[in-house]
Amino acid sequence: MVQPQRRARNPLSMAVATVLLLAGVIGAFWVPIYARSAPKLGDFPFFYWFQLIWMPVVMVLCYLAYLLMRSTPASTAGPADGTLASDGREAK
Amino acid sequence: MTHINAVSFTIVIVLFAVVTVAGFAASRWRRAESILHLNEWGLGGRGFGTFVTWFLLGGDLYTAYTFIAVPALVYGTGAAGFYALSYTIMVFPIVLVFAPRLWSIARMHNYITPADFVRGRYGSRGLALAVAGTGILATMPYIALQLVGIQAVLTVLGVGGTSTNGFVRDLPLLVAFIILAAYTYFSGLRAPALIAFVKDTLVYVMVIVAVIYIPARLGGWGHIFNVAGAHLKTTNPKTHKPFGSLIVMPAGEWAYATLALGSALALFMYPHAITGVFAAKRRDVIRRNMAMLPLYSIVLGLIALLGYMALATPAVNAGVKAAGGNAQLSVPLLFEHMFPSWFAGIGYSAIVIGALVPAAIMSIAAANLFTRNIYTEFFRPGASASEQTRVARYVSLIVKAGALVFVLALPKTFSINLQLLGGIWILQTFPSIVAGLYTRWFHRWALLLGWLAAMVYGTVQAYRAPTPGTPQSHFGGSTAPVLGHVMYIAIAAFVLNLAIAVVGTVVFRLLRLPEGADETLPHQYTADPAATAAAPVPAATVPGPGSPPIS
Repeated sequence: MVQPQRRARNPLSMAVATVLLLAGVIGAFWVPIYARSAPKLGDFPFFYWFQLIWMPVVMVLCYLAYLLMRSTPASTAGPADGTLASDGREAK
Repeated sequence: MTHINAVSFTIVIVLFAVVTVAGFAASRWRRAESILHLNEWGLGGRGFGTFVTWFLLGGDLYTAYTFIAVPALVYGTGAAGFYALSYTIMVFPIVLVFAPRLWSIARMHNYITPADFVRGRYGSRGLALAVAGTGILATMPYIALQLVGIQAVLTVLGVGGTSTNGFVRDLPLLVAFIILAAYTYFSGLRAPALIAFVKDTLVYVMVIVAVIYIPARLGGWGHIFNVAGAHLKTTNPKTHKPFGSLIVMPAGEWAYATLALGSALALFMYPHAITGVFAAKRRDVIRRNMAMLPLYSIVLGLIALLGYMALATPAVNAGVKAAGGNAQLSVPLLFEHMFPSWFAGIGYSAIVIGALVPAAIMSIAAANLFTRNIYTEFFRPGASASEQTRVARYVSLIVKAGALVFVLALPKTFSINLQLLGGIWILQTFPSIVAGLYTRWFHRWALLLGWLAAMVYGTVQAYRAPTPGTPQSHFGGSTAPVLGHVMYIAIAAFVLNLAIAVVGTVVFRLLRLPEGADETLPHQYTADPAATAAAPVPAATVPGPGSPPIS
C-alpha cells in the first residue's frame, strides 16, 4: 500500500484542520467551561463527564484533521510541484 | 499488609517471568543483521508500523504516572488531580501538528535524538548539548516515578516494603530493576516494544473490570462521589485547609489549566516520547497514531477515578494512614480490598509491567542522547556505529542508577511532582525543537540564553516550593504564584524562555553574530522516504540500515 506522495496542500482544508484541533485544545484548556457540578449525567458531576466525553470528541477531531492534512489523492495529482523535485518520488 | 498474599504474589511473579522471557527474546524479533547500530538497538530498526507504534507509544506514555501518581493526587486533593485528563486531551491535537515534521527531518538526516536535529538545524554544538543534557536530566525523575510505582505495589504485596532494614526493603525493587536493565541492554527498544503488548492488554483488562466491578461493590458512583466529596471538605490537619474539592475552585482554575497545558507541550519533548516517534516506519504512522492514542487517555480518566473509589473504601483509608499517609498506595490497596486475590495479582502486574516498559524506553532514550550528543560529539568524534551502541548500552544502566538517586533524595508525598519537575526542565527545549521545525528566525545563542534563564528560574522556583503543610521544605510542589496567580512553574519559565529568545534574536541579528550552518532543506520536513519503496536516500544524508520494503 503505497501512500500517494503528493504534498500540495489545499489551504482551505489546512485551515479547517487547524480550527478543529484548536477547538479540541481550547475545550480542555478553558477550565471555566466545565468547572461546575451541574448538569449531572447519571451520578457524574458535569466536571467529570464533560472531560470524559470531550476525550473521544477530540479523538474524532484529530482523525478529521488527519484526513484533511493527508496528501491529496494521487488520482487528482498532476506532476509534482517544483519544491518536491527531490522528494524521492520516482519509484513506482 | 505484613503477610504476603501467596496467590497475588504468584501471579505477579509468573507475569513478570513472562515479560522477562519476552524481553530477552525480543532481540530476535524483526532481527537486523547487527544489533550493534543505534538505529537498531536504540530505535528498533525504525520499522514499526501503525499497530506496533500504537502499542509502543501507549506503553511508553502511560506510565506509573497514570496508574499510581494521578490516582494518588486525586485521592489526596480531588478534582485538582484531574488536570492529567485535561492534559492528555490537549496533547494529541498539539502533537499532531509538529510530530510528522520532526519524524520526516529525522528520517531524512538519520537523526536518532532530538538534539541531533538541533545540532543539524542550528549548527550549534552548545545548543545541542543543552537539549541533550536537559533530556537526560528531565528523564531521571520520570524513571524515578516508575520506581515509586513499583515500590507501591511491592509494599502492598508485603514484599520488602515494611522491613526496617533498608537493603531488604529495597531488594525486590532492585531485583526487578536489574532484570529490566539486563534485557534492555541486550534487546534495546525491541524489548519494551514487545512487552508493551502484554502491558497494554493487562491495563485495558484491569481498567474495564475495575470501573464496572468496584463501583458495584461500593454501592454505585453516586455513593463514591458523595463519600469522596464529604471527605475532601474536611480539614487537613497538616495544612489547616480542606483537603480539596470535587469541582475545581475558581482560584485553582489557572493552576489546573497551566498544569495541563504545560504537561501537554512538554510530553513530546521528552526523549522517550521522541524515540517512540522516530521508531515509526512511515510519516503516516505518526499522524494516524495521534488520532488513535487518545483511547489510552480515556483509560487514564477512568484510572484517575480509582482515586475516588479508594476514598470511598474505609480499608484503603486505614491502610494509607498506617503507611504514614502514603497516598501512592491507594490504588494497590484498593485492588487488595476489592478484588479476589488472583485478579488483584493481575492488577498489580499491570502496574509493575506498566512501569517497566516506559522505564526501559526512557533509559534507552537518555542513553542515545548521551552517546550521540555528548560522547561522540565531544569525546570520540568518529566513533563507529558499534562503538556508539556499546556506549549506549552501558549508559542505559547508569541512567537507571541515577534515577534511584531521585527516589531516595526527593519527597514522595505526591510522586506526581517527580514528573512535573521533569516537565519544568524539558519544556525549556520546546522553542529550540518545535520552533526550529518551522523557522530559522531564532538565533541559536538567543535560544541558548532563553533556555539557560528558564532552567535557572524554573529550578529555583521548584526548589522553593514547599511540601504542603511543611514550610521550609523543598521540591514539594510544581506550582508557584506568578503575578498573583498560582500556576505551573514550567509555563512561567517557558514564557520567560520565549521572551528572551525573541529579544536576544533581534539583538544578535543587529550585531550580526554568526548564525551557524543549517544542513536541512525545506522539503525534507514533509518528506517520507519509506513511503516510496525504492526511493533513494538523498546524497546529503547518512544512509540508514534501510527499512523493509513496503508491499
